[in-house]
Amino acid sequence: MTTPLTDLSEDFLAARSDAAGEPSWLRDRRAAALKRFLDQAWPDSRNDEYWRSTPFAKRFDVGLPIVAEAGNTATPAGLTTSLDVAAALARIVDGELVEVTVPAELAEQGVVVADLSAAAETHAELVRAHLGSLTTSDDEGTGGDEDRTITASDAGWTAGVFVHVPDDVELDAPIGIQVHATSPGTHLPRVLVVTGRHSRAVVYLEHTGGGIADGEDADRKTLVDEVVEVVVGESSAVDVVSLQEWSGHVAHLSLQKAAVHRGGTYRHLAVNIGGTTVRIRPEVDLVGEGASCFPLGVYFADEGQWFDMQPYIRHIAPRATSDVLYKGALQGKSRTVFRGNVLVEKDAVGTDTNETNRSLILTDGARADSTPFLEIHCADITAGHGSATGQIDARQLFYLEARGIPREQALRLMVYGFFREVLEKLDLPGVQERTLAHIDREIEAADLSRVGVGRIADVAPGEVA
Amino acid sequence: MADLEIRDLTVEVQGEEILSGVTLDLDKGKTLALMGPNGSGKSTLAYAIAGHPAYTVTGGSIRFKGDDIAEWTPDERARAGVFLAMQYPVEVPGVSVTNFLRTAVNARRGEELPVRQFMTELKEQMAQLHVDQSFLQRSVNEGFSGGEKKRFEILQMAMLTPELAVLDETDSGLDVDALKTVAEGVDRLRGPDLGVLIITHYTRILRYIKPDEVHVMLDGRIVKSGGPELADELEEGGYEEIATVARA
Repeated sequence: MTTPLTDLSEDFLAARSDAAGEPSWLRDRRAAALKRFLDQAWPDSRNDEYWRSTPFAKRFDVGLPIVAEAGNTATPAGLTTSLDVAAALARIVDGELVEVTVPAELAEQGVVVADLSAAAETHAELVRAHLGSLTTSDDEGTGGDEDRTITASDAGWTAGVFVHVPDDVELDAPIGIQVHATSPGTHLPRVLVVTGRHSRAVVYLEHTGGGIADGEDADRKTLVDEVVEVVVGESSAVDVVSLQEWSGHVAHLSLQKAAVHRGGTYRHLAVNIGGTTVRIRPEVDLVGEGASCFPLGVYFADEGQWFDMQPYIRHIAPRATSDVLYKGALQGKSRTVFRGNVLVEKDAVGTDTNETNRSLILTDGARADSTPFLEIHCADITAGHGSATGQIDARQLFYLEARGIPREQALRLMVYGFFREVLEKLDLPGVQERTLAHIDREIEAADLSRVGVGRIADVAPGEVA
Repeated sequence: MADLEIRDLTVEVQGEEILSGVTLDLDKGKTLALMGPNGSGKSTLAYAIAGHPAYTVTGGSIRFKGDDIAEWTPDERARAGVFLAMQYPVEVPGVSVTNFLRTAVNARRGEELPVRQFMTELKEQMAQLHVDQSFLQRSVNEGFSGGEKKRFEILQMAMLTPELAVLDETDSGLDVDALKTVAEGVDRLRGPDLGVLIITHYTRILRYIKPDEVHVMLDGRIVKSGGPELADELEEGGYEEIATVARA
């Protein structure tokens, strides 16, 4: 049976639910989502404000058949498995959850890492309360009117992971979730993370595979339409690191949305390295008083890559804090889009928000679009935002070279330094090292002799003569 | 032949000629002071020696230890032993002082210095220059005060053991105490293996570092040369007198 995403049907969903043994409440949810899906059209980049910067029809092929099984189930080399700590691990390969490992000491504390379809039965109360709670509108206006790429997931998600960290349980070791692509087609992974009061959790969301971008694999196109919901409990601290390490022709859509309750802290890091097109939406609803979130991003785009990043923060409750920082480098014919949004609702007094995006254009032909938005409906707040796109700073480069450091090494130091500001904000096992290793490889592959340096006229104001 | 031999050097910046035929000799073990009013071309000479890309050599030569270095890249010159203490040290965000110095020292010496040995040397030099240990983790020049930046320049000079050090207005913007620390730092590094070119507008740094020769630059040329006493003359008469004579 090959069903393209665009032909999602009741029959398809029923067959999937049967195979997974899903309870009726979940079947009903899927059916309701399908209804919405059938009423909607695919995003139209000419008319949809949020899609204006990335042409949907051109970058995302919705005609690829949905993959409901797993292809090659060998464990890929990923961040979580590279650590020497006993971490929980869930592995999605293509359309199937193929492995869940929970170390005994975690299970004893009541930590759940499970198949989402099964959890809909075994942890019905939690899953029912939260699955889809951030993707569909409710009376309080959390969630939102989502486009068809999201209702497609609500209706048709194939492989899901449920994570629950109970009240007062503090985990140091990360919970790894691998989303690995081995078969071309449409993949519909889904993740739900719920944490209890005073808990602490770290989730590594790893995206790997997709074949090889060139040569014989050139036709192996993969569309990944992913939805991740994170419910951060009261005074809970949750870190989510999403690594986009795709190796081939992968177009990746990902809504990663969190609701942060009273006094909770949520840190999110998106690392965009691989994939042909990656459109990631790290969204946060600050629903509880005094909640805080720190959406961070690191990206390095090279030839042919298109990264679209749309952090969206909604200050709903009073005295909440948000600080968005995205930094990226571009080389070759590549394109990045940063469309940041901070919305401060009318009751969100005492909001403290900041939003920053910086892009470094290494070689000619790359283009970075950046628009940090700020929409304020409340008077009593502190807000700042800024964006800058530039080349390597000629004065900095000369300073390093004048100390004997060869140009290539100087550039490397500067690019590392550029990213360090972001990575230093999130000291989690293996994350800095792995991200810097990616950056290192990107720089290694780059033709540094082509690196553009700021114009000489800009070099030294006031230093002439 | 002098260790640094500049002959009839002309330099342009953005198409405008700033240096119009500068000739200067400096041997290791000697200290020269290059003085002159603002806009006379002193800093241009400093940047031209160091190889700043905005400064184009259009004529003449810069020979260092026998090689014409005018076409060399800045890093090649630095590895050969040229050091420029900058008037406006540049902030390099995200690059730690330790990492920067270690990379530079390894490049200059052409070998990987063991970390322990490097740190021992570095801490010794930092103590001499009253540079706090907390600097090690900070980004290069980021958030440094004017005095800290200048002391950091001299710290780099100490670690890189140059054979030619050009100090471009190292005294500017320093109060008396900071100037004293920096000047003593430079004085301590003087010796038979180092030639020093002090570029300054004022004479006060020369009270701490006695030059062997003083040259006065005006309109892109050296218009007067003499011994240390020339600095004293300038202290009294200023540049006006020299300018009147030179331009007559």
